[in-house]
Amino acid sequence: MDAGLNAALWVLRFAFLALLWLALALMARALIRDVRAASRAPAATLGRLVVMTSSGQPPPGAVFALDAVTTVGRDLGSSVVVDDPYASAQHAVLTFRGRAWYVEDLRSTNGTHVNGAPVAGVTALAYGDEIRIGDVRLRLERGRG
Amino acid sequence: MTGLVADAAAPALPGFPRPRARPRELGLLIAIVAALSVGSLSLGLLRTGRLEPADGPGLLLYAVGLLVAHVVLVVAGRRLDEVLLPAAAFLGGIGLLVMERLPQDLVVQEIGPWTLGLGELQLLWLGMALVVATTIAVGFRSDRWLRLYKYTWAAAGLFLLALTFVFGTDANGSRLTLQVGPFGGQPSELLKVILVVFFAAYLAENRVLLADARVRVVGPVTMPPLPYLAPIGAMLALALGIVVIQRDLGAALLFYAVFLALLFLATGRLSDAVIGLLLFAVGFLALAALFPHVQQRVATWLDPWADPLGGGFQLIQALHAFARGGLVGTGLGAGLPEIAGRPPIPAIHTDFPLAAIGEELGMTGVVAVLAAYLVLVERGLRIAASSRDDFRALLAAGLSLVVGVQAAIIVGGNLKLIPLTGITLPLVSYGGSSLLANAIVIGLLLALSDRGAPPPEPPRRGRLVRFRRRPGVAS
Repeated sequence: MDAGLNAALWVLRFAFLALLWLALALMARALIRDVRAASRAPAATLGRLVVMTSSGQPPPGAVFALDAVTTVGRDLGSSVVVDDPYASAQHAVLTFRGRAWYVEDLRSTNGTHVNGAPVAGVTALAYGDEIRIGDVRLRLERGRG
Repeated sequence: MTGLVADAAAPALPGFPRPRARPRELGLLIAIVAALSVGSLSLGLLRTGRLEPADGPGLLLYAVGLLVAHVVLVVAGRRLDEVLLPAAAFLGGIGLLVMERLPQDLVVQEIGPWTLGLGELQLLWLGMALVVATTIAVGFRSDRWLRLYKYTWAAAGLFLLALTFVFGTDANGSRLTLQVGPFGGQPSELLKVILVVFFAAYLAENRVLLADARVRVVGPVTMPPLPYLAPIGAMLALALGIVVIQRDLGAALLFYAVFLALLFLATGRLSDAVIGLLLFAVGFLALAALFPHVQQRVATWLDPWADPLGGGFQLIQALHAFARGGLVGTGLGAGLPEIAGRPPIPAIHTDFPLAAIGEELGMTGVVAVLAAYLVLVERGLRIAASSRDDFRALLAAGLSLVVGVQAAIIVGGNLKLIPLTGITLPLVSYGGSSLLANAIVIGLLLALSDRGAPPPEPPRRGRLVRFRRRPGVAS
């Protein structure tokens, strides 16, 4: 094999490896940018309540970041104030107990429903579950997103 | 934001959405195609002595396929991840180059008037994989049909596997391939995707119970209540049982590792990981006691030179290949001396493509491939972390881990870090079943990454897990 061909082969070999790593570096840059953007985004919370349907306040689409103990009701002192004629003043309480969310009905007049079933006692919730209080439907979502 | 509900109720095909540019994906794809072209040029120069690509039309078709996939995703207008497709294209492209470089008569298939060799077949499968991945990425709108029919899916997957066991064709002493007419496939590749869907759906539905209603085992070690562990345990046991009897040890290891990872992700309990690893040790010892071929694998791993022309042959050849490759490799086409026209490693295109990469691209190339898997797994876990409900989070995590763990198992086996188990290197190895199964994974991950999607519907049934926390229950 003559010297020129040999040199060209060497150049191509190393150019190939260099270009492979260039592509990887570009991917890595995209990942780092996303990590930076995520760190600038609002800090993760324990969970979020998203209003799916409601007749008045809060409007559909409203999002509440949840504390470890979140009360829901018509009372203005509630963490999530639900202005619905069928909601009680102290209607329900959501609690985060280490690994999961639980909901408890506070002996409300019309009850609390999860995925269509009435709540009795302390009931475990999964992310994606739908809570109905009066005519307001709320969905529990994971804290990030 | 009244659109929230309206979107959820909208028909599946709401006319044509507005296209959304994906500049990052396009840039990465161009960089990858440029790198592959130079690789192909170096292979062509070595073969012919002229500066021409080794398989110009093949590479061009691959580039066109990637471009079409990119355009389809742009036209679909969904806000999908832009790094997943390039990372998969990177691995697929390196696989294509390796298959074009290997002797083309390793696999020959006649389709109609054409006789296709290894590289052409791999290109065909890659094209189909791109179609599958983009179709799922664009068409997958609702996860209901995955979530609600999880037992149906799992049963179908196990049935397919059992069918292979009865009617399958033998290859290398294992019965893994199901032949239907001219089409052959390895159902265990598809089963890995189905199992992840089942695990994610079951764990998401019962996550709170498994995580919070703990039963004490010993001291601080607790486990989930047995009645709620039984369905998923039974499914796992069935899958493991079939693949172990089929001697598909790599698949068994993969299924168990992914199950354990998902259980730990769902419950967040260290106890589950500890018990799972202990059970793995017990199961491994039991298998080694029951099956002589497991003992043989371990013996080969510990000392392949004990039987250099028999059981240890492939592994020794692979180690020599890595050693010859060194830091930067011999260059594409310059390595892999053939013994009587065959590469020294018989399964180099399925189980040992990493040895080919290690010899011709050196450690630099091997680490590049591993880094691409890392990118895939990072993207998958990021998609999982930003999912809004449990099922999507567990599904995204499980899908990315199934690719990452499979790569780790076969790379570890090739490098003699763990006993060798026959399993493909995802997206790089030759093989239709493997490529299509991994294409489904990439497509689902892309679909799950959609940040503009309407929220998924809540679980349909009113069935709700109810329990009071008793003082006696460990937490």
